[in-house]
Amino acid sequence: MSDVPLVHVVDDDESQRTALLRLLSAGGFDAQGYASTGDFLLQPLPERHGCIVLDVRLPGPSGLDLQEALASRGVTLPIVFLTGHANVTSAVRAMKAGAVDFLSKPVERETLFEAIGRALVRDEARRASRDEAIRLRERFASLTAREREVLDLIVAGRLNKQIADQIGLAERTVKAERAQLMAKLGASSPAELGVMAERLRTLSEE
Amino acid sequence: MQSSAPGADVRVLVLYANGRLLPANVEVDRGLRAALGSSALGNVVVYDEFLDLPRFGGDEYVRTMETYLLAKYASQPPDLIVVAGDAALRFIVDSRARLYPKVPVVHAAVEAPFLQSIAPLPAGVHGLPAIHDFSGTIDQALRWSPRTRRLVIVTGASELDRAWERRLRAESSRLPERVSVEFLAGLPIAAVLERLGSLGRDAVVFTPGFFEDGSGREFLPREAVRSMAAVSGAPVYGGFQTQLGTGIVGGRFADFEAIGRQAGELASEVLAGREAGTIHPRATVPPKLSVDWRQIQRWGIEENAIPRDAVVHFRAPSFLQEHRNEAIAAIVLVLLQAGLIAVLLTERRRRRIAEFARVAQRSELAHASRLAVAGELTASIAHEINQPLGAILSNADAAELILESGGDRCEELRQILGDIRRDDLRASEVIRRLRTLLARQEVERRPFELNDAVREAEALVRPEARRRRVTFDVHPAPHEVSIVGDRVQIQQVVINLLLNAVDAVAGMPDDRRVVSVSVERTAAGVDLTVRDRGEGIVADQLPKLFDSFFTTKEKGMGLGLSIARSIVEAHGGRIRAESVPGEGTALYVALPEGAMGASVTRGDG
Repeated sequence: MSDVPLVHVVDDDESQRTALLRLLSAGGFDAQGYASTGDFLLQPLPERHGCIVLDVRLPGPSGLDLQEALASRGVTLPIVFLTGHANVTSAVRAMKAGAVDFLSKPVERETLFEAIGRALVRDEARRASRDEAIRLRERFASLTAREREVLDLIVAGRLNKQIADQIGLAERTVKAERAQLMAKLGASSPAELGVMAERLRTLSEE
Repeated sequence: MQSSAPGADVRVLVLYANGRLLPANVEVDRGLRAALGSSALGNVVVYDEFLDLPRFGGDEYVRTMETYLLAKYASQPPDLIVVAGDAALRFIVDSRARLYPKVPVVHAAVEAPFLQSIAPLPAGVHGLPAIHDFSGTIDQALRWSPRTRRLVIVTGASELDRAWERRLRAESSRLPERVSVEFLAGLPIAAVLERLGSLGRDAVVFTPGFFEDGSGREFLPREAVRSMAAVSGAPVYGGFQTQLGTGIVGGRFADFEAIGRQAGELASEVLAGREAGTIHPRATVPPKLSVDWRQIQRWGIEENAIPRDAVVHFRAPSFLQEHRNEAIAAIVLVLLQAGLIAVLLTERRRRRIAEFARVAQRSELAHASRLAVAGELTASIAHEINQPLGAILSNADAAELILESGGDRCEELRQILGDIRRDDLRASEVIRRLRTLLARQEVERRPFELNDAVREAEALVRPEARRRRVTFDVHPAPHEVSIVGDRVQIQQVVINLLLNAVDAVAGMPDDRRVVSVSVERTAAGVDLTVRDRGEGIVADQLPKLFDSFFTTKEKGMGLGLSIARSIVEAHGGRIRAESVPGEGTALYVALPEGAMGASVTRGDG
C-alpha cells in the first residue's frame, strides 16, 4: 500500500479535471480523473488511503446520486463536493449525507487542500477503525465453541460458579477456559471483554 | 473652565473613532444633538470629525490629524470635545496636550475595561462607561434554545475585530460544558456564509459583526451581519442595537442614542461650569434586551419566554387594524378601477395585439423579454463561466507549486499556460454571446447566416437544457442559408422556442427528453422547426398559443410566443404550431430567404 493518498476527481469538464489533477499532483497527491459517475463506478476502486473530489452536475447521474450509490455499497471514501453553481438545496443534501465540504468553483488552492486534508483525516480514522474490526473478528474466529459459550456468559455478567453450573463443567475448568479466551482475544479485564463483545455485535449487524 | 454667556455660540467638537457611515455614530449623534439642543446653553454648534481609526493609524497619521484639526478649527476653537468610541478617547488622551489642553472632554460609548486600561483619566475628562453585554446576549440566546449544543461566534480580521474576538474568547470560557464553542474568526466572507449556511437549528450564532473579513474586504458591521443572517441555518444574535432589523433575533444592546443623550447632558453640565465633583451623578445606561418580532416567530421562540423588560421591535399592528376605513376605501377604489380596466382591456384587446407587433419592432419589449430569458438562464450561465474560471485558478495554483518546487519543467508550464489561455477564451466567449443577446440596439436589417445564428442560440440554452437533462438534436441545413433582418431578434425567437420545448419535456421520461431543431430550405424560403416530445397541447388551446398573456406555465408571462410572432411577422415570415396531445408539439417558423419581407417600419395599429 502506498503512503501517498489517492484523490479521485470526478468532473465532466475536461479542462477543469486536467487542471485539478495537475494541481493535486503538484501538491504531492496521487490523483485520478473520471468524466462521469458511470466512469467512476466502472473502474476498480483500489484499496488506498484517499478521498473523492466530486462535481455535482454531471452528465447522467449527478454527483449527489453517486454519493448515495457509494454509501449504499458501503464505500466510505470521504467526499469533497466542488461545483460550478452552488445552490442551497444540493449543499444541504450533500452535507446531510456526510460530505466533508461543499466548495464552489473557482476554488482557492488553500481552501481545496484544506478540505482534502480534512477528508484524509476522516479516511484515516475510518480505516483505523475498520482494521481494528478485522483484527477483532480474526481473533474471535480463533475461539473454540466452548470458549464462545463461556464468553457469552461472562459478558452476560455470570460468575465463574454460575457458568460452571450452567454448562456442567468444573469451576476450575471454567477458569482455565476464561483465561484462555481472554488471552486469545487480548483482553486484560472482563470490562474490556464486554466492550469487545459489544463491538463484535454491532459489526455483525452492519 | 470656560463658560459661555447666553446667546453666544457654544462650540462642541465631536470626534468619532470610526468612519462616517457607521450606524452607531448616527444614533449617538441623534441623542447628543437632542440633549445639547434642549440645554440652556443658547446656540450650540456641533462639529463632527471622523478619525476613521483603526482603518488608519500610526504616529504620522495622528500628527497629521492633529495638524488638520488645529488648522481647521483655528478660528472656531471648540469649547468642549466629545469623543465617541475607544479609539477616539485614546486619541484625545494622547493628543490633548498638543491640541486643546484646557478644553474639557466628555467621552461616550467607551467600555469599562478600556477605561481601566488608560486610568487614571486626566483632569477635565468626564464620562460614563458603556456596556456592550455580549455575554448577556449569548446567555439569552442559550436560554431560548435550551437544547443547543453548538455556539458559533463570528468575528473579523481588523484590529477592532480582533479585540472583540479576544474578549469573546475570554468570556465564552465560562459557558456551560454542554455547549461547544466554535469561532469563525478572520475568515473570508464567502467561507463564513458557507459555514453558516450549513448550520442546523441545533446551533446558535453570535456575531458583533466585523469591519474587515479575512480577505481584506471592508464592511460595515451591520452589513456583514445582514449577509450572515440572510443565509444562516441557525438563529443569529448581534452585538449592537443598530444591527436590529438585519435579520438577527436580537440581543442585549447598549442604547447608542441614550448614550449620546447622556453625553450631551453631561457636556451641558460641564459647559455650564460645574466642576467634576459637583456634576450630577448618573447611572451608566444599562444594556437593554431588544428583539425582532419577525425573527422571534421565524425561530419559534415562545412569546412568554421573552422577558417583560425586553423591547420588541417590528411588531406592527396588522394593516387592517390600523387603517380599516382607508383600506376599505382603497379596496373599493381598486375594484372600480379594475372594472374600468377590464372594460378597456376587452375593448382594446384586438388593437393592442396589433400594437404589440410595432412595440416589438421598436425592440423595447423584445429587449425586456431577452432580459427575462437571461434571468432564466442565469444559473446555467454562472456554471458555464465558473467552469473555465475554476480551471484557470487551479492551473495557476498548480503552476505556482511547480515553480516553487524548482527543476526544469518548462514543458509542463507551457502546457498550463496554453490551457489557461484556452479557458480564458472559453469564458469570454460565453460572455460575448450573452452580451450580443442583451445589448439594446436598433432593429437591424442586414443579411446573416441562419445556421450559425441557430447554433449560437442553441449554445446559449444548452447548459440550461443539460441542467434539466434535456438533449438538443440539431440539424442545420447542409448549405448556407442567408436571411435579411435582425440576427439577435431571430435568435431570441429560437431561444424562446427552445426554452419552451425544454419546459415541455423536462418532466417526461428519459427517452422523450430530446428537442430537435432543424433548418431546411423550402420552395418558398426557409423552414426552422423546433420539435419536442412533451405532453402536447390540446386542440382548442392551439389557436390561442400566440396571444399575449396566454400561458400554460405556472411562472410564464405569456409574452414569449406573442413577441416571437411579432418578430417573425416583421421579417415577413409566419409562425405556426402543430401538436398531438400525448405525442409532442412542433413549432414551424417559415422565413423568406435572402430578402426582408414586409418592412419593419410597417405599423398597422
